[in-house]
Amino acid sequence: MGIDIQKLGVAYGDHLVIDGLSLRIEPGSFFTLLGPSGCGKTTLLRTIAGFIDAAAGRILFGDKDVTGLPAHRRDIGMVFQDYALFPDKTVNDNVAYGLRARGQDGATIRRKVGEALERVGLGHLGGRHPAALSGGQRQRVALARALVIQPTVLLMDEPLSNLDAKLRVQVRDTITELQREAGITTVFVTHDQEEALAMSDRIGVMKSGRLEQVGTPSEIYRDSVSSYVADFVGAANTVEIDAPGAAPGMVTVRLGGHALSARVPAPLAGSRAVLIARPEDIALSPQGTGGANSVQGTVSRRQYLGGKTHYLIGIGQDVALAVETHGDGHDRYMPGADVELSFDPAKTLVLAS
Amino acid sequence: MSGGSGNRTVWWWISLAAMVVMVVFLLYPLLTILTGSFGGGERNGWAQLLADPRYLEAVRNTLVLATAVTGLSVCLGVPLAYLASRYEFPGKSALALLPLIALVIPEVIAAQTWLMLVGNNGVVTRALRSVDIVLPSFYGWPGLIVSLTFTYYAYVYISTLAAIRGFDVQLEEAARSLGTSPARSRLKVLVPVIMPSVMAGALLVFTMVMGNFGTSSILGGKVRLLSVMTYQAAVAEGGADPVMQSTLASVAVGLIVIVLFLQRWVLSRGRYQVVQGRNARPVPLSGRQGWLIGGAAGAVVIVSLMPLAMLVAGAFTVSRGPVMRWGEWTLANFERLLLTNPTPILNTLAYSAVATLIGIAASTLVSYMIVKKKNLFTPALDYLSTLPLALSGTAIGIGLAMSFNSGWLHLTGTGAIVVLAYVIRRLPFSMRSASSTLYNIPDSIEEASISLGVAPVPSFFKVVLPLMVPAIASAMVLTWAVTVSELSASIIVYSGGRETMPIQIYKLIDSNLMAQASAMGVLLLAVILLPIFVATKLFRVELFSSR
Repeated sequence: MGIDIQKLGVAYGDHLVIDGLSLRIEPGSFFTLLGPSGCGKTTLLRTIAGFIDAAAGRILFGDKDVTGLPAHRRDIGMVFQDYALFPDKTVNDNVAYGLRARGQDGATIRRKVGEALERVGLGHLGGRHPAALSGGQRQRVALARALVIQPTVLLMDEPLSNLDAKLRVQVRDTITELQREAGITTVFVTHDQEEALAMSDRIGVMKSGRLEQVGTPSEIYRDSVSSYVADFVGAANTVEIDAPGAAPGMVTVRLGGHALSARVPAPLAGSRAVLIARPEDIALSPQGTGGANSVQGTVSRRQYLGGKTHYLIGIGQDVALAVETHGDGHDRYMPGADVELSFDPAKTLVLAS
Repeated sequence: MSGGSGNRTVWWWISLAAMVVMVVFLLYPLLTILTGSFGGGERNGWAQLLADPRYLEAVRNTLVLATAVTGLSVCLGVPLAYLASRYEFPGKSALALLPLIALVIPEVIAAQTWLMLVGNNGVVTRALRSVDIVLPSFYGWPGLIVSLTFTYYAYVYISTLAAIRGFDVQLEEAARSLGTSPARSRLKVLVPVIMPSVMAGALLVFTMVMGNFGTSSILGGKVRLLSVMTYQAAVAEGGADPVMQSTLASVAVGLIVIVLFLQRWVLSRGRYQVVQGRNARPVPLSGRQGWLIGGAAGAVVIVSLMPLAMLVAGAFTVSRGPVMRWGEWTLANFERLLLTNPTPILNTLAYSAVATLIGIAASTLVSYMIVKKKNLFTPALDYLSTLPLALSGTAIGIGLAMSFNSGWLHLTGTGAIVVLAYVIRRLPFSMRSASSTLYNIPDSIEEASISLGVAPVPSFFKVVLPLMVPAIASAMVLTWAVTVSELSASIIVYSGGRETMPIQIYKLIDSNLMAQASAMGVLLLAVILLPIFVATKLFRVELFSSR
């Protein structure tokens, strides 16, 4: 079942934190709400769950209006940042909790709990208490507990942020796998762009209670509609430039005294704009070999990272761009060397500032 | 607007009900006291208070006594706590008994046993008199100060001990690494950090001494004290003075409020958070130093425990009226208490059981709303529930007696008013214990239950309450222990046939029947200790989180 949010408003006291937000989430898809803390993503998730009342608008699960329904009757599965396992209950009893609330018989519950724990790879730990589990195991139990009731929608509130880097990737894979397998419509909240890009069918980037952009991971990354999105989703060089009222299409802008071709995805209003170029989309070459659409610069810092090298390259007086190089000889430029930076016009965007 | 979550209305109604109950049983009696002081026609209570030097003397004496006892308690409690946390010495484990002593020995019993030792007719007094040494009278200042200090210093000890144990020695080591001597480092680093806890313990002692009735009345002699005069104004045979009782109770309330504000101010100025703690390893003391320090600490513990020994001895000693025949043993004292008049024992058991159940249930529910279900009423509930901290037992007793003496809710003469007094006196403490547990239970636990399809109220019972059980159990044991020995409020509100064990002990002491009083004291201790023993040994309930 899909989720349809229509002109939703959420207020804390007199203060509207979400105002007129609309969003459709396709049945069975994995949707991520991405944004920095305080952008309203968790508020939106908790409103979908029913823990926060909507002040305006409607929320539908499929065709069913759940706006007025209390959380416990919305048939949701929820995974929390701090796991929220019941510490006094065993793993088995934690997972069985929702099934018991649904009045299923003992044999069915035992079978389903066993299967659910098997699926997250914890079949052997059913008798333990949460305190005896590692962080990754706890979050797997929480996942099994939320999925075993076969909820209409699965809601996850930064479920990976309490885990260390290695576990994060493992649990991430478990979540994606199980979600695909079960085909449950999922809303996932995170502030981690890598997580969002890796896991999602679609991503909604949020900014102060609004959806700044909704799209597939590559749309969000490649065709960011604003410097906010471009900057939040992956590293991006953002340079303020003059670009008076350009229409969508290719334009020529000036950077450090050089002319550059770049793409304008949406109409620009003012006279100032932002040039966006991702570090891995800029190619370096020795001076004099850059070819079309390139500018000159000087290496001011070099960080060797094994399979790639990070450079900081100064262009003129005021501009410094981050560049990431791969492939043979990616580390060959030393600080102080003069280089040419080549830009791919299709991957170089000019956006409203 | 959705507003559909039916849970909101449930909790809203419950908090409204709690609000009404608190206003009726807490705020109304307090207001009755305050307004009562302005009664009396031409010369209201305040005019009378200022005109009569006896009252001002009582206020002054009370403050002097509280200051002296607080000072001595700090002098005893802080060094003991330091020794207990930083050193190992012979007999150290005896120090662990201290918190229990503070808790279990009702102050009436402590006062009584001091009398049995060094009172006019005391064992020590008489022994010394036989070798022509005449002790100064224990009644008055000496008795008050000695007895109250040994009754209350453990509160300073407990709070200081917790602070020193939570102190990160690395701070002290850092100071030393920067070139200060060990002694100076300690003074400069440790003292400021533990100061707020010492102050908190000291101010608690101060308010308890101001509100103390039992010891003050038994040992006070000619020294006029506020609590005793308030009590006399309330219950004096034929001479009860409703205006003066509320005036004096108001004065007591005012004094405690001032002290509490002082405490707040002190704590807000000096609260340090020690982030990562590494505890000091206790340093073993041996040889002469060890014995000296062990001996000093042991002496304090022995003096603290002396009342118990005296009590047990007195309980089994033959007596004729006020005369104790030491060395002749009997069970007659117990027989008399149990067979001829067991009412006080049964009353105590019944009142405390009911008060414990009501008090714990109410404070669990109300603190749950304050912590987890904030609404319009919960801030007010939070404030109201701390109100009894500002009320001495005597003031609570007077407030209840004045408020429910007649009218639509007539409670005077019933056991209910005693139960009510118990519940109110204990409320702030059980609320504090419940809410500190609740703050440690993340909201997500409850939300997880709701998300799995269990309605909010059942969710509370299924996942939150089980997590509170250990804290509830320890709060119940403490509430029981404190209510069975409650005296100052119940002695004002009780009526004939509703005596409790502490009231009976007070009356027996008043009639100089020390043997019977001792026997009742032993029974009272049994009533206090049995649940503590069962809870800590059988159910492994942790009574002191500071340990």
